[in-house]
Amino acid sequence: MKILVDDDFSTMRRIVRNLLVELGFSNTLIQEADDGDNAIDMLRSMPFDLVVTDWNMPNMTGIDLLRAIRAELALKALPVLMVTAENNRDQIIAAAQAGVNGYIVKPFTAVTLKEKLGKIFERLAAQGATA
Amino acid sequence: MNAVSTSLLDHSLPPELQQLLQTQDGPAFEQALDVLVREREQHLFRALGVLARDLHDAVRRLGNDLAQEGVPDSVADARRHLHDVLDMSAKAAHRSLDFAERMRPQAEALQADAAVVLADGGKDDATVALARRAGEFAGHCRDGLSDMVLAQSWQDLSGQRIKKVANFIGSVESSLLELVRLTGVLAGGEAPVAAAKVSSQDEADRLLSEFGF
Repeated sequence: MKILVDDDFSTMRRIVRNLLVELGFSNTLIQEADDGDNAIDMLRSMPFDLVVTDWNMPNMTGIDLLRAIRAELALKALPVLMVTAENNRDQIIAAAQAGVNGYIVKPFTAVTLKEKLGKIFERLAAQGATA
Repeated sequence: MNAVSTSLLDHSLPPELQQLLQTQDGPAFEQALDVLVREREQHLFRALGVLARDLHDAVRRLGNDLAQEGVPDSVADARRHLHDVLDMSAKAAHRSLDFAERMRPQAEALQADAAVVLADGGKDDATVALARRAGEFAGHCRDGLSDMVLAQSWQDLSGQRIKKVANFIGSVESSLLELVRLTGVLAGGEAPVAAAKVSSQDEADRLLSEFGF
């Protein structure tokens, strides 16, 4: 499974990568971007199965990246997990309305990440089965 | 003017206004009203003048500070210090992550080796006990290192706040400089920081004095 981790802080990208590897995802299939602009470029240039993105980033924020993904035919079905320090109601609602697949508030644990990823894939599998 | 409203006004208005309202002379009424309005305007202008002068003085002092005491350098220094803190904290967090990434495979290998020893039969009790302990220890290390990785998210959380403060300082800095520049322009000066010219200040003071401030 090819995963794109998008965060402007290199430490957080590395932490998310570590957790994903711990959960059994392949280290070599994880790629990184440091803002929404770079992320959307990478998503357009190669196929990914999952995006894990921060909200607060320069140039293009996580919510704008999410909207850009949902607006693009080739990318619109891509699962997006938001991992962010933003925990106010309006932002969570905005993310939900923009079609986010999961929302994790920092700081978080490997258990939370595992649980949210599990739910995302369960739902996708259910959608795949009914489609 | 009817009797009812006059009697009502009697109690609440100053004498000169009562007198004015009772007059039958139209031109005199208007003239007196003009005088009253002008007096009020003058009060307002005087108050505005005092405010303008205070503001001008404050900004002039700020302009002097910015020009002579190197305040722009201090503001730039403050922002640079914050960025240094960001860099240092990121390096420290990465060092911890290096350590965790280096140690985790070793802990996992030890755990696997211990499992192999325990799975093979025919070992003496001391070996089995040691292998069991080694396996448990390796497991605890592995979990502890994972926790340590997660704990490094402090750098991201504190770093975001530092970035916000640095941006805020930057916007305060540019607002102050803009204020000084505008005041310089209003006072007839040219350059923003050099706006603290004595000549333009004298001109401003003279102009303000002419209006009685």
